[in-house]
Amino acid sequence: MKFMKCFQAVLFFSVCCIISQPVSAQQKPNLTDPEIANVAVVANQIDIDNADIAKEKSQNNDVKNFAQTMINDHQSVIDQATALVKKLNVTPKENATGKQLMADAKKTQAGLRSKSGSAFDKAYIDNEVAYHQAVINTVQNVLIPEAKNSELKQLLENVVPALKTHLEHAQMIQKNLSGK
Amino acid sequence: MKNIITISKLSLCIFFAALMFSCSSKKYEVHVVEIKQMQFQPAVINVQKEDTIIFVNKDIVLHNVTEQSKAKWSSSTMKPGDTFKLVAKESCNYFCTLHLVMKGKIQVQ
Repeated sequence: MKFMKCFQAVLFFSVCCIISQPVSAQQKPNLTDPEIANVAVVANQIDIDNADIAKEKSQNNDVKNFAQTMINDHQSVIDQATALVKKLNVTPKENATGKQLMADAKKTQAGLRSKSGSAFDKAYIDNEVAYHQAVINTVQNVLIPEAKNSELKQLLENVVPALKTHLEHAQMIQKNLSGK
Repeated sequence: MKNIITISKLSLCIFFAALMFSCSSKKYEVHVVEIKQMQFQPAVINVQKEDTIIFVNKDIVLHNVTEQSKAKWSSSTMKPGDTFKLVAKESCNYFCTLHLVMKGKIQVQ
């Protein structure tokens, strides 16, 4: 419980840092397209890494199936993003936002690895709910508005329905877990 | 001359047989359900029994189409661009087992 509160506070802080950017972005955009491409790939890879841990540790079929869907879907997005940057001849550029996301994810993953059984399932699914809420906000309020290339913007817009479906799916499992 | 008459009679028989077959065989419709933006579109489809429904995955991720109550039928995993053909036998609810919140309904009139 303490872990989740701590994680959510860190995640909220990280997202607030990212979300606060559009205000200043009105004068000067903070993320270039190569940086946006990097953030998109990092954000998807984090959820794949979390899902790998869930597949390894969970005994709950609903949780394991959800984790497999996260791996499939987020890998599809990475593949599409990779194909697009190749087509556009753009090299994703590491940046502070992507590095912060990855650093926070490492802490979260360490916390997840320390749990087992139903405590793990709850921590993983709570994390998925919070993470998808944060990522949806970031994609809609930062990445899409700041993307300059129309194909990159379109790809980000196409990803939003999948993220929202993942959130709804995670919330459904969260509700079931709390009822058990 | 006799041969010509026989051929004419035979042609006439074939013509009427074809005519009767076409009158007796009902024309079934083909309906398309698109899977896009993580939804079945349309989510509810009204069809006649034996109509064909073609599901097309226009999304960027994998999906499937599975009868909801007892998994009486199911497509295999559909990659982007894949299609699944179903002949409607009875009304049913269906969903995607990969994304449990994606649901649709077939209403056989």
